[in-house]
Amino acid sequence: MLNSLFVLNAQGKIIIEKHWRGVIPRQVVDKFNDQVVTFLAKPVYTPYTGRSLEDGSATSAQQRNGDLLVQRFALEDLPPVIDTPHYQFLNVQRGGLIWLSPVESEVEPQMIFEFIHRIIDVVQEYLGDVSEMSIRDNFVIVYQLLEEMMDYGYPLTTETSVLKEVIPPPTVYNKVYSTVSAAAGVGQKLPSGTLSSIPWRKLGIKYANNEIYFDVVEEVDAILEKNGSIISAEAHGTLNVNCRLSGMPDLSMTFINPRVIDDVSFHPCVRYQKYVSDKVLSFVPPDGHFKLMTYRVNLPSGQLIPLQVRPQVTATKNGGKFEVVVTPRPTEGKAIEHLVVTISMGKACTGVNASCSMGDHFYDSTNKTLRWEVGKVDIRGRPPTLSGSFSSSVDALDNPLSITLGFQINMYAVSGLKVDSLKIYHEGYKPYKGVRSLTRAGKFQVRT
Amino acid sequence: MAARPKFFTTNKRGENYELKAELNSEYRDKRKDGVKKVIANMTVGKDVSGLFPDVLKNMQTDDLELKKLVYLYLMNYAKSQPELVILAVNTFVKDTDDSNPLIRALAIRTMGCLRVEKIIDYLTEPLRKCLKDENPYVRKTAALCVAKLHDLNPALAIDNGFIEIVQEMVSDTNPMVVSNAVIALSEIHEASDTKDIFVINDTTLQKLLHALNECTEWGQIAILSALSEYRPSDVKEAEHICERVLPRLQHANASVVLSAIKVLMIYMRTARDQTFQKNLVRKMAPPLVTLLSSPAPEVQYVALRNINLILQKRPDVLNNEMRVFFCRYNDPPYVKLEKLEILMRLCSEKNVEQLLSELKEYASEVDVDFVKKSVRAIGRCAIKIEGASERCINVLLDLINTGINYVVQEAVVVIKDIFRKYPHQYEGIIPTLCENIEAIDEPEARGSLIWMIGEYAERIGNADELLEHFFDNFREENVQVQLQIITATVKLFLKKPSENQEIVQKVLQTSTSQSDSPDIRDRAYIYWRLLSTDPQAAKAVVLTEKPPIKGEGEELKGRLLDELIENIGTIASVYHKPPETFIGGKKYSADEVNKRPLE
Repeated sequence: MLNSLFVLNAQGKIIIEKHWRGVIPRQVVDKFNDQVVTFLAKPVYTPYTGRSLEDGSATSAQQRNGDLLVQRFALEDLPPVIDTPHYQFLNVQRGGLIWLSPVESEVEPQMIFEFIHRIIDVVQEYLGDVSEMSIRDNFVIVYQLLEEMMDYGYPLTTETSVLKEVIPPPTVYNKVYSTVSAAAGVGQKLPSGTLSSIPWRKLGIKYANNEIYFDVVEEVDAILEKNGSIISAEAHGTLNVNCRLSGMPDLSMTFINPRVIDDVSFHPCVRYQKYVSDKVLSFVPPDGHFKLMTYRVNLPSGQLIPLQVRPQVTATKNGGKFEVVVTPRPTEGKAIEHLVVTISMGKACTGVNASCSMGDHFYDSTNKTLRWEVGKVDIRGRPPTLSGSFSSSVDALDNPLSITLGFQINMYAVSGLKVDSLKIYHEGYKPYKGVRSLTRAGKFQVRT
Repeated sequence: MAARPKFFTTNKRGENYELKAELNSEYRDKRKDGVKKVIANMTVGKDVSGLFPDVLKNMQTDDLELKKLVYLYLMNYAKSQPELVILAVNTFVKDTDDSNPLIRALAIRTMGCLRVEKIIDYLTEPLRKCLKDENPYVRKTAALCVAKLHDLNPALAIDNGFIEIVQEMVSDTNPMVVSNAVIALSEIHEASDTKDIFVINDTTLQKLLHALNECTEWGQIAILSALSEYRPSDVKEAEHICERVLPRLQHANASVVLSAIKVLMIYMRTARDQTFQKNLVRKMAPPLVTLLSSPAPEVQYVALRNINLILQKRPDVLNNEMRVFFCRYNDPPYVKLEKLEILMRLCSEKNVEQLLSELKEYASEVDVDFVKKSVRAIGRCAIKIEGASERCINVLLDLINTGINYVVQEAVVVIKDIFRKYPHQYEGIIPTLCENIEAIDEPEARGSLIWMIGEYAERIGNADELLEHFFDNFREENVQVQLQIITATVKLFLKKPSENQEIVQKVLQTSTSQSDSPDIRDRAYIYWRLLSTDPQAAKAVVLTEKPPIKGEGEELKGRLLDELIENIGTIASVYHKPPETFIGGKKYSADEVNKRPLE
């Protein structure tokens, strides 16, 4: 149950507010902002200087501590649930906006977070971008959406396809369309999705060409040790579908190797029992784009990780030297593309000097990150290498580097999951079927 | 100011005047734009209540979007202009009779949201009609409207028999109606004094279980919450419900998964069969891990706090899943610290080796707070698993050798705990610790080192020199450190009386005569008198055996843990505190109790 929602910018100013059951005064946001200010001002760690504070004479230990920075939190470190007298502040931070829900009674935070994510997704789909500017430019639409998505604090309509039937998105086409239909005095139809016994699909869908496309997207989350060994590695897969089929087709899909999947969650259309007993995905699909299932696959052995990364960092006086070698592994002959290596040099870094055997590299001195855009890597060529040196205001050992990777491999699924067949029942036509796979890096981290 | 919001471009002076003209235009499009401008002004907090009659004129229209916009406006100003809302009532009542079910539902939904005492009487008849509407969308909207009415005027909702009607709606054929009826009843039940509004019996249970499979994700959450309040009558029923709830673990919505886990955890207590329980626990593990793979840190955080609770009740749930709790350097701090807590809970003989190398890695990160907690965690491993204590000590010594100031300090504190747990095993490392004596300046770390010197004074050749060194700055030390110096010196004296008469004299003299702190003086006096009257008694007191220590991890006990398990997924489960301690303006806090007589 959600009482009120405030959307704030990073400075804590209200952009839009919505109350579903009685108004919570705006002043509550000041209380939240106070919490934020206190949180940001609080030192995470201050070197201990207690002994000599009174007389002001510095001891030797304190002097040594002097060069250690006092650490403070950043806004995105703010905990998502904050306990204050009277209000519990649930907040979600996305793209520089804070979605704040102050609550006075016991609620389920996970549900509120899920709902806020849903709002953000819907606004994203409607406006193409979720920012202070886009919300301000489309106040009325956002306000209408907030009203339609919730009734008395309980989620009402959260499917974009259904919402679009009630609230037209701000496109030129729709502006014309709504003017025409309004002028003709046509009352809009009841959104059929809310009523059908299969709530995700309406009756009477018709296409001239029947087609269905499946996109298997797998993201690799991994932590690698500096010697290349794997600390943890998982693939998070999503099966996205673009369905353009007429009528009420009943689909049945099988995989060559469903056993690789460790855990799976489905779109409500999938018949769960059927999957449990036969490992077959049997479903009546929603129309258009939807997410059929998400799954998780453990990647236990190093064989399955498409890349091997070996960083070497040696400390020198006032800084250090580094070398990063990326070795591609066989990926069924598919090339690794858009490879980007990002090295976070640590807050104390004062400068970087680097050279690479392939691609380009840039150093961002505000974020202290070195970005190496390698591009496409061929398994036959020499493994790309980046080497260089950096200077630092503290001992290099105090300030380890961390490396994150981004890459993409087309037509390849790292988990090895493969679609075997897709059958269609209840409809006479033969649709065009397509399956694509894509593997890319998720949270892919290498330690040094 | 390149792109100014387009609804605010009217000039200041005649703004309301212009809007008024627009609202009364003969063209529908112009009127619609006018209402949109009014709403845009309203959302930024400008007062446009003066336009009430003009906006109201646009309510009677067959353009659904325009109607909705007017409704939005009405909801916002109904509270401040109740007399004017009466003017709108007729249109509302008429709309609840419209041929389009969407308009009927919209009208009844909006009327419930107006929250104006005066129009409530007009609400009852349309509501009665809508509750029996042929269209399920209207029925489900009406069900929730009963909860709104009950909130404003409980007597009216009861006298009109609305609550009975909603109770019957739990048996509706449409799952969406069932789930909304459940939401409405749960809400009324919660607010009522009698707590007899929503009691699940055999028949309703079957209806709920049936609807659970069919309704929307949000409806599922409501039904699962209702199920978590129900107590099954026997083992068979509990097992049956668990079987029916299990598929919910495969839902993409993290909140559905967590609600299902709550129900399973509660019902598991009734289903006593060991193999059944084991089976449930086995099936819960993968979805719990999947919750962590959410890209949203807030979802991860709530999941982690709940996993922490579940592990205290069922330590075996995630036995083989330690790796997924390993931290990434860019996890937010609140996620990292929670992961660390869970790693501690999962730590066992089997995985301690891997965990230690992981913790050692964390100890070299940049985030100081996290580093210190990681060093502490190494000590907790040693205390939890005896077989690993030596490896832990070695890791800590490696860390001390890095010479990083705050790491060294934390390691010293932790080693003291290990000494407490396993006395007389590792005192060989004391010289290494003493090499860092200069770097140790935080009171807790200094205190720990001094305690170790006192405790093992008989084995440390230069204990007197070391204590002398600390005593040099005695008056500038933190009180905690001063107390440790006094006790350590007395221990030293009792262990080697012959050569340490002088130093103990000096310490006690200084602390009794020159200290401002009563604690310091008192402790020094007690030792002094003990030593001068009966040295044997002093030995018995000061060198007594210490009670063993346990890992410092918080353990929730018995009833509180059970209560929190029943609250899985709620704020209580995030704070690990029962709801009454933070809900309702903290009515149990001292402040509130003090204020009450004044009111």
